[in-house]
This record gives sequence, structure tokens and C-alpha cells, in this order.
Amino acid sequence: MSDKHEEHELHMGIPQYLVIFTILFVGTIITYYVALTDLDSRLFAGANTLVALLIAFFKMTCVVLYFMHVRWNGKLIWLTAAGSFVFLGIMFAFTMQDYLTRGAGIFTR
Amino acid sequence: MSDTHAHDYHPPGLQHQFEDMKQQEESNIIGMWMFLAQEIMFFGGLFTAYLIFRSKYPMAFAAGSNHLDAFLGGLNTLVLIVSSLTMALTVYYAQKNNRNMQVIMIVLTMIFGTVFLGVKAVEYTDKYNHGLVPFATWNKKTKGEAQAKTEAPKEVKNFFASEGGKAPAGAKVEEKHDYINPTGQFQWNSQGESNELILEAQKGNFLTEDEKIGYFTNGEIDQKKFEGRVRIFFWIYFAMTGLHALHMIIGLGLMLWLLIMAWRGTYSAQYYSPVEISGLYWHFVDIVWIFLFPLLYLLGRHFIH
Repeated sequence: MSDKHEEHELHMGIPQYLVIFTILFVGTIITYYVALTDLDSRLFAGANTLVALLIAFFKMTCVVLYFMHVRWNGKLIWLTAAGSFVFLGIMFAFTMQDYLTRGAGIFTR
Repeated sequence: MSDTHAHDYHPPGLQHQFEDMKQQEESNIIGMWMFLAQEIMFFGGLFTAYLIFRSKYPMAFAAGSNHLDAFLGGLNTLVLIVSSLTMALTVYYAQKNNRNMQVIMIVLTMIFGTVFLGVKAVEYTDKYNHGLVPFATWNKKTKGEAQAKTEAPKEVKNFFASEGGKAPAGAKVEEKHDYINPTGQFQWNSQGESNELILEAQKGNFLTEDEKIGYFTNGEIDQKKFEGRVRIFFWIYFAMTGLHALHMIIGLGLMLWLLIMAWRGTYSAQYYSPVEISGLYWHFVDIVWIFLFPLLYLLGRHFIH
């Protein structure tokens, strides 16, 4: 916030928006076709999900940085955007460290 | 804005509590991001539920996912990405003082948003006809009931009860085409295949502890139990996509308001915060779908191809 920009500086033009759009579009098509190939048995168990999630994270980063203009926003907005994912990670990690360390329990029904 | 401050000049969109337009703009964006952080946690609860149950019953989740139409899901992803582009361009044209292009881009965004909801409605109808809606009594297709009575009851045959888990290959085709499901039964696409996969996983010792208990009764695959685990997937599917669709509807409402305001020429290079923060909301909804698509539609897809 301390650094003075020009009042209404445009960071992205139409070509830049189209480049990001193309990345997202191609990413979706790659996700679809990668899901049809059996990476689980070719590489390691869970490889399909891992690749799908990596592409999804990459797409999310593109949307957040360029479509949502976070790249040129102030530090406080960076903190808010990144912080929300930290809290999400805490929720995932703390829940799973409980669930994954419990036995399934044998019940006779 | 108010006449009491007419003596000192300030830009027309500036509220009196802010120093200048830049500070006002940044405050708006931070406020919106605070809201989005809460929305992330809101969806995050459902993602946590997904994480827990998928880690417990991966095979049932893959079987449930294979009931979804991955092509329609992918199409919807592309539709949302295009709508995200038009939304980003709305902000761009607002910054460029171009009222006409703003209006066009907002209308395009609304059209793509509506297409998304339309495809979603088609998918939901399909799931309803196949008895996959989590509420058992909601799955009765009353319109088809009269037809089902007159025709032979072969279409409504419950495979896993009568055939002991192995569906005959010929009968599945009939089942797929006419959507008569008067008893609200769960309809399987590839039940035999999922049984084989479970047995294969059992041989290779890939089943999780929960699956060993959750799918079997006395060492035999229990279709009723397995069906119950697949229903967990459909609960999560309907909760997540339903909540996402609700966000889309709210987003369309925002777009309508933006459209009216843009039509009146409210937004300019000096004042476009409403366009910017509505855009943030729209992109957030897009991001949620970017994760929902691979997590719900694509897992286990490679088993059937």
C-alpha cells in the first residue's frame, strides 16, 4: 500500500487474459484425458488423483493471480488469500490425523 | 455525493470515510477476500467430509463416480472457464470506461452461467431417474409408473438381489434407455465390473480396513452394504454440487444487478469496485468447480476405459 502506483494502471490486456484462458482450457482437457489413462498401475497408487489435483492447483493459481488480480494487490490481500488456504490445510490435517490413526473397529452385525 | 462536502472536491464514487479511491478500492477487495476466506472454509467442511469418506471407501467412491457423466462435467468446467474469462473482461472494460462492452460481457457471463445450471439440471434429472438421489422416496418416477405397470416388469428388475451380484450383459442396455424406476431402486451401470475390482483389490490386499468390513458379509461381497457406501458418495456429490449450484444462482443474481448498473453507466475507470468484487466472487465459484470436477467425476474413470 505504501508504494504509489499510477492511479488506474491496467496490468493485463486482452491478449494476456486470453493466454490465461487458454492455459485453463488446455488444463481442463489434459485433466480429462489423463483421468482415462491408468497411471495408478503404471506409476504408483494414487498417481491419477495426484496429477488431477496438481493440474487443479495450477489452474487455481492462474485464476487467483491473474483473473482475480491478486498478483498486483497489496500485501494484506496476499495475506488474506494465502491465510485462508492455511486454515483450510489446518482443518484437513487435524481432521485426518485423527481419522487416519483410528482403527476401523470390528463390529458383528 | 452528499451536498455538505461540496466545498472540497472528491471523486464521485468516494465514500467519506476513505482517503482516496485507491484506499477505498483496496478496502473493498480486502473485505471481499475476508468473505471468500469464510467461503473457502464453508466448502472446506464438505471437502473434509469427502476426504474422510474417500480415504475410508475408495472403491465405493470410484464406483459412484463412474455413474456420473464425465463428459458433461468436463463440458461444464469449460463453460465456467469461459464465463470466468468474460467476467475478467467485464472488469477490464469497466477500467477502460467502455460501457457497451461491459454490458455485452455481463450478458455473456450470465448466458454461460445459465448454460452451466442447465447442464447441471440435465445431470440431476439423470441421477434422479437412476435412483441415485440420496432420499429413497424421492426417486420414484411417478410419470413412468403407469407405463411400468402396462409393460413387462423386466425393466424394474433388481439385479443384485436376483442375480447374486452378477448382472447379465444384455439386460443392462434396456435398463439404461428407459427411465422407469417406480420403486426408487438404485440402478447400477457396471456392477459386475466393480465386483471384479473389489475381488482383485482383495487379492492384492489393497482394500482399506474400513472396506474389509464395509463391503463384505462373511467373506462374500454384500451388495446392500456396498450400495450403502456408494450412497455416501452421492450424498457428498449432491451436497457439494448443490451448494455450488446455489452459489451460481446467487452469482447470477449479482450479475443481473451489475447488468442494470452497467446499463445505466454507473461504472467508470474511477469507480468499478462492484464489478471487481462481483468478479472475485464469480472466479471463486469457478475455482470451487475446478476442484469438484476431478474429485467427483474423474476418480476411477480409468477402471472402465
